[in-house]
Amino acid sequence: MKPEVILHSFGYLTQAAATTVAVSFAGIVFGFMIGAAVCAARVSRHVWLKRLGAAYVSVFRGIPLLVQLLFIYYFLAKYGLDVPAIVAAVGGLALSSAAFQAEILRGALNAVPRGQGEAATALGFAGLDIWRRILMPQALRISVPPLINEFILLLKASSLVSVVGIAELTRVSMNIASQTYRPFEAYVGGGLFYLAINLCLAELGGVAERRLAAGSGR
Amino acid sequence: MNPDVLWRYAPSLISGFGVTILCWGLGGALGLLIGFAITLMNRVRIPPLRWVLRAFIEVFRGTPFLMQLFLLYAGGPSFGLRLSATTAGVVGLGLYSSAYFAEIFRASFASVPAGQIEAATSVGMAPFDTLMRVTLPGALIAAVPSIVNMLIVLSKETVVLSIITVPELMYQVQTMAAETFTAFDAIFAMAVFYWLLVETVSRLGARLEARMTAFLAHEERAA
Amino acid sequence: MSAPMIALAGVSKSFGAHQVLRSVDLTVERSEVVCLIGPSGSGKSTLLRCVNFLEPYDAGEVRIDGRLIGYEDAANGARRPMSGRKLRDMRREIGMVFQHFNLWPHMTALGNVAEPLRRVRGLSAREAAERATAMLTRVGLAAKADAYPSRLSGGQQQRVAIARALAMQPRLMLFDEPTSALDPELVGEVLEVMKSLAAEGMTMLIVTHEMGFAAHVASRIAVIDEGRIIDQGPPRHVFHESPEPRVRQFLQTYHDRNAF
Repeated sequence: MKPEVILHSFGYLTQAAATTVAVSFAGIVFGFMIGAAVCAARVSRHVWLKRLGAAYVSVFRGIPLLVQLLFIYYFLAKYGLDVPAIVAAVGGLALSSAAFQAEILRGALNAVPRGQGEAATALGFAGLDIWRRILMPQALRISVPPLINEFILLLKASSLVSVVGIAELTRVSMNIASQTYRPFEAYVGGGLFYLAINLCLAELGGVAERRLAAGSGR
Repeated sequence: MNPDVLWRYAPSLISGFGVTILCWGLGGALGLLIGFAITLMNRVRIPPLRWVLRAFIEVFRGTPFLMQLFLLYAGGPSFGLRLSATTAGVVGLGLYSSAYFAEIFRASFASVPAGQIEAATSVGMAPFDTLMRVTLPGALIAAVPSIVNMLIVLSKETVVLSIITVPELMYQVQTMAAETFTAFDAIFAMAVFYWLLVETVSRLGARLEARMTAFLAHEERAA
Repeated sequence: MSAPMIALAGVSKSFGAHQVLRSVDLTVERSEVVCLIGPSGSGKSTLLRCVNFLEPYDAGEVRIDGRLIGYEDAANGARRPMSGRKLRDMRREIGMVFQHFNLWPHMTALGNVAEPLRRVRGLSAREAAERATAMLTRVGLAAKADAYPSRLSGGQQQRVAIARALAMQPRLMLFDEPTSALDPELVGEVLEVMKSLAAEGMTMLIVTHEMGFAAHVASRIAVIDEGRIIDQGPPRHVFHESPEPRVRQFLQTYHDRNAF
């Protein structure tokens, strides 16, 4: 057992951790944009949009992330599109996360008490305004805790982009392992960094939940 | 995609599927057992033990599954554990899922309404009988939906096993793809296959859930 | 003259800083039906739950047929908590019916009634089933023996709960707001069963809001307010002749709604 291995690679691991966080963050942000669109499709009045949204969720939640990532990779290779690996990686994470976020948002919309919209309608609000001023803000507030949870999940899932060569925590741990011939220390080191990031995120999540609970006047 | 190719590789694909199911089944069973054991051990109030168990759960829920696999498979020899890829895969799935199952069981035990336990106490039932006849059945039934969900998640995690060369389906597909230069088609077929599998299992799971919890619906109708 | 079935003397209980029961004295004689009424938060449920030690009381004594429950006298004259086994033995003799029925959802009606007979009284499966069936018949639910609680109405569930308590052949029965969780039209069937139990001479201590029931079935009514019993006596005394202003104030709302 040589703990100094972790100390010597501290710099590399920190850099890798930053990459992990950056890639995950990009993934969740783009995932949110796509997910919001999919959610809108699922709750729209048009049946074909509803079906399309449901199909998206079913496909991108049902197919394992690794398969999705490799598919994008080979897809790009087959059609000769010279896309940097990082774009493929973030794209893959985003498309996958979008499916989960769409369901989170849809659940949050459903959780807004029906009476709120009804009261607004009774008062004479226009449809779009009800959406913008009453339903959406509340739905967004309700969805923050599960979205933070999704971020934590995405962060762990990002370890899979190591297979397309991105120098994030898992890939760098692998490199350290092969260079120092001390796989145990290398992976424990990487694991510790993941735990540290998760700890921060969990703290953030707790703070966010408390702030939001206070704000909602419960 | 050339049917010839498929035919030639059919045996290895089928064997790969078998390995996937095996790893998923054994890993899931291991996870359930360990997870349940953790929950039971947590109920015994010994602070050092609870601390260790909490650390276990945090580590296995807070790190990526792939890292855990690498640690087991590549890092194992460092502390005397030489596992084959498949064994490491099964153990990895088991340990990973056990942390989630432990949380599921903990929540399900807590969800048994206190009133039901009070009824047993008020009639003079011994603690052991109360646990076995009231708390445990109630907790297990409450845990079914989450357990089904987690098993579905686990089935998707089995593809990660291919990275440490476990000869499951994904690995066989990639081998076939590399040897026959049909990467795109192979992955596409794989994607479709997995999607069908997960959809089917999800629907079956939902129906199983419904049947098992049917008699729990609308518990207090008049209230 | 034998000891009262239930005797509370100087019973006090606090939840943290909040004192819920303040030195309560109350007795229930054999075959008496005593109804405990009072405003919300007065401590009536807590008092009831102290009788079978579901809530431990801090001071005073609760005696069941002369025997102290929850504590036993230690050698040096002080007292220590009663052993689990002795407590269970005492609880076997006390039947309790809860506001929310507390039936076990994964067992049928018959299963619910038979379970304590098997686990606590040690009856065989066959004997337990026989006694359980007899009890379900007693409460009018023999036809529903194989139904799960989720398929029964609230009134039926409560009657099964009564059967479950009754099957143990307790010496006394405690009722904690037995009809408060029921839709109005289902209250009657439960009160009927309780009336028949009283007619058979069962000793009963009932926390209730059903003033009509209390007026017609109780031998005595005790009014509890802020942890103290402020008045007690036959229904006529409490409802019409009570000197306590708080009692009159509390009953005013009921008099307004249904004069009796």
